[in-house]
Amino acid sequence: MKRILIAAITVIGLTAPFLARPHAQDLPRRLGGENGPKKSAEAPTRPVPKLADGTADLSGVWTGGGDTPIPRLLKKGELDSLLLPWAKQKMASQKEADDPYFYCMPGGPLRITGGFAWRLIQHPTEHATHVFMLQEGNAHSFRQIFMDGRKHPEDPSPTWYGHSIGHWEGPTLVVDTIGLNDKFWLDSAGTPHTEKLHLVERYTRTDYNTLRRVVTIDDPGTFTKPFDVTYTAKLGTPDSEIIEYFCIENNQWGDRDKK
Amino acid sequence: MRMKLGILSAGLAVLCLAVPIAAHHSWTAEYDAKKPVTVKGVVTKVEWTNPHTHFYIDSTDQSGKVTNWNFEMASTPALERSGWSRKTLPVGTQVTVSGFGGRSVLEKAIVTSFKGPDGKEFFVPKLGN
Repeated sequence: MKRILIAAITVIGLTAPFLARPHAQDLPRRLGGENGPKKSAEAPTRPVPKLADGTADLSGVWTGGGDTPIPRLLKKGELDSLLLPWAKQKMASQKEADDPYFYCMPGGPLRITGGFAWRLIQHPTEHATHVFMLQEGNAHSFRQIFMDGRKHPEDPSPTWYGHSIGHWEGPTLVVDTIGLNDKFWLDSAGTPHTEKLHLVERYTRTDYNTLRRVVTIDDPGTFTKPFDVTYTAKLGTPDSEIIEYFCIENNQWGDRDKK
Repeated sequence: MRMKLGILSAGLAVLCLAVPIAAHHSWTAEYDAKKPVTVKGVVTKVEWTNPHTHFYIDSTDQSGKVTNWNFEMASTPALERSGWSRKTLPVGTQVTVSGFGGRSVLEKAIVTSFKGPDGKEFFVPKLGN
């Protein structure tokens, strides 16, 4: 019996990092339920819907698509080869606990589509002039993307989500963003950046339930050359909603060492 | 045997929590997996708040000393999607909570198991958001 227990504990210890998260049905006698909205159960082969003007309909409540740490999206050691010396040093000296996101600051354009539910809105639904991304979580904030053909301003004052302009390339929404501040971490790994950061995002609904997001990260102040990362967001069921969540309300993170 | 099962279930609880997730913050920075705690007591305050909810519980030891525990749970969206409301375990409810104590303050703990007065166990979402 003792051996079985030791073996069981060892197996758990060794396999823990590789196991998918348990589902509610694995936890009998409990209320159950998903952490985020329920995932869409539509057949992936169902055609991707189009709006009346012929553009792809990307609207809906999605989960994920920006929360995976950048080092995990690249080959082993690749990020190290891309980082300029100061950035490598900064990344090594940071502690996870220092992430501004833990202090309820906005996560920047990559993390707004992170672990929380978020809703994409094309407005109006014909010849949209704006695309909005509403994030349930953290700072309960939004991103706006101008679709009316305007250009970036000459020298925008840096902000948390920057200045974003978008256009369609076939079924793909292409979003170009500059004017970002350097107050947020690009990801939970603490990948640094400067105000020279320039993002080009390509959103494609690759099947009914899936939104692929390929981001070209270009920041000559931080990286030796531009590089691409790919994220995936999953659609929620039609009745999914984003729910109010203000991180600033009762964040005890800064007081964790006090009684 | 009871002890071993206890260790095993603590292991399972760690397993459930150790899976990488997009948490508001990493629970291991705040809580210590080497400090499993089980508290039986009465709910004194429910903070139905974000980024996380907090259940405060008064527990009385054999000498009559009362300790107020601060148990952290997932966000209100995560709990609501799991069938909870702020009235699920209101002030005055007799509960049994298990979890892990804080690294600095033991009585600031994270919940891994929550049982109501009749022993009914409630689903505890991870600190996923």
